[in-house]
Amino acid sequence: MHIPDAFIPMGQALVYWVIALIFIALALRWARRSMGEEKIPLVAVLAAGIFAIQALNIPIPWGTSGHMVGAALAAIVLGSPYAGVFVLTLVLLVQGVIFGDGGITVMGANIVNMGVVGGFIGYYGYTAIKRVIGNAYAAAFIAGWASLFISAILCAVELAVAGTFPLALGLTMMGTYHAVIGLIEGGITAVALYLIASARPDILEHPAGVSA
Amino acid sequence: MIDDLYFIEKYAYRTSIVHRLDARIKLLIALAAIVTIVAVPYSTRVYELGAVLFALVAALWAASRLPPTVYLKRLALILPFGIFLIGFQAFVKNPYYDVFHTIAALPFGIEVYAESVEFASILLVKFVVSVSFIILLSSTTKMQDMIEAAGRLGLPREFTLTLAMMVRYIFVFAEMFTRIRTAMATRCFDPLDRTLSYRYRLNQLGYTVGTIFIRSYEQGERTYTSMLCRGYGANAGLYVRKKPLRTQEIVFFAATLGFIVLSAVLIYVQP
Repeated sequence: MHIPDAFIPMGQALVYWVIALIFIALALRWARRSMGEEKIPLVAVLAAGIFAIQALNIPIPWGTSGHMVGAALAAIVLGSPYAGVFVLTLVLLVQGVIFGDGGITVMGANIVNMGVVGGFIGYYGYTAIKRVIGNAYAAAFIAGWASLFISAILCAVELAVAGTFPLALGLTMMGTYHAVIGLIEGGITAVALYLIASARPDILEHPAGVSA
Repeated sequence: MIDDLYFIEKYAYRTSIVHRLDARIKLLIALAAIVTIVAVPYSTRVYELGAVLFALVAALWAASRLPPTVYLKRLALILPFGIFLIGFQAFVKNPYYDVFHTIAALPFGIEVYAESVEFASILLVKFVVSVSFIILLSSTTKMQDMIEAAGRLGLPREFTLTLAMMVRYIFVFAEMFTRIRTAMATRCFDPLDRTLSYRYRLNQLGYTVGTIFIRSYEQGERTYTSMLCRGYGANAGLYVRKKPLRTQEIVFFAATLGFIVLSAVLIYVQP
């Protein structure tokens, strides 16, 4: 889902950069205010961990392998959508500049798709669903699925607006593919949350077992 | 991706004229080239500009004395998603052309358009050129140097400190990741093994992800505490020492930047 350079014209790419920068600024403010005094180093180290999580080969039912994004997991555990934005911005920056995975001019769009959408859908999806059904792990599963699916839909829409990939084809292909991959993202988010809630419940901003 | 980390950094530690060049200059030249090739509107003029910029990147690669196979290997790792998007272009219409001429009709009503093939090739040129500059940049510049360079160029200290920490710990977690993978292999567990139930594999991977998360969080806590012990506070930042540019470096930077901008302008305004 990492859009490469040239697939979004410069003008539009700048618009996404502006949106991304606003969220990055908000995420920095969050890191300073709510993470305690100056816990930014902690989030930076966590970002390196998410980078390793993304490297894990995850089997997809029809044989190939995919990767996790992890924005929803970070947002749910740290209890803020900005955790997803912050962590994914760092990860995407390193992936773009060092690995060439995802472009430089389109990095704003990639941060919006994966960090902002992943973080916000992941976090608010989780809290809202948990309130309704009362089960934290089912909520994490749905939120993880939705975060990836909506990211992919947004990516398809952006490419369609850029005129580099037709909307209908993009929505069906990216949508179907990520609707399936999303199940895995959701499943792993739920299992990982379960492990964290059992092993280090103090890390969780909102306890998973007790409904808020 | 995590195995490529060592591969990339190994070549960045070599030495050559390009490796020794100040990281600020390499960062800005790569950025300028990418912005230029992306900013030029979709038209067949992209071919000429692409050829000029590709010649530049090839010359710099030759000067870096890295084997061409390194470039090809890295290119092969990056291409897939872009190629997937480009490959489909030939069969669909895009808003950048008014008339489409069918050059081939395939079964199921799928048609190949001449204009769409042209558009696909334009995208390919832009894509390969931008990716090539990133490959050159990261194959000849150490990550830590890049962050210092970004700091010298005025990136706020919140970012330089966080990025420096992240880059440092990526290697720690790459080691940990390798150990986890070895541990899985010694227990004969392969996440892609289809004889195991899917649910079981997903559960194990979920625990692995949770473990990596907790371990990185705990590492973060330890690092944060030890930084506090050493006087870290709200106003602390990454120490970036001043490093004046040498005259040759300034000349090289001005000449290359001028070359990129001038060739873009000349190619774009030609009748």
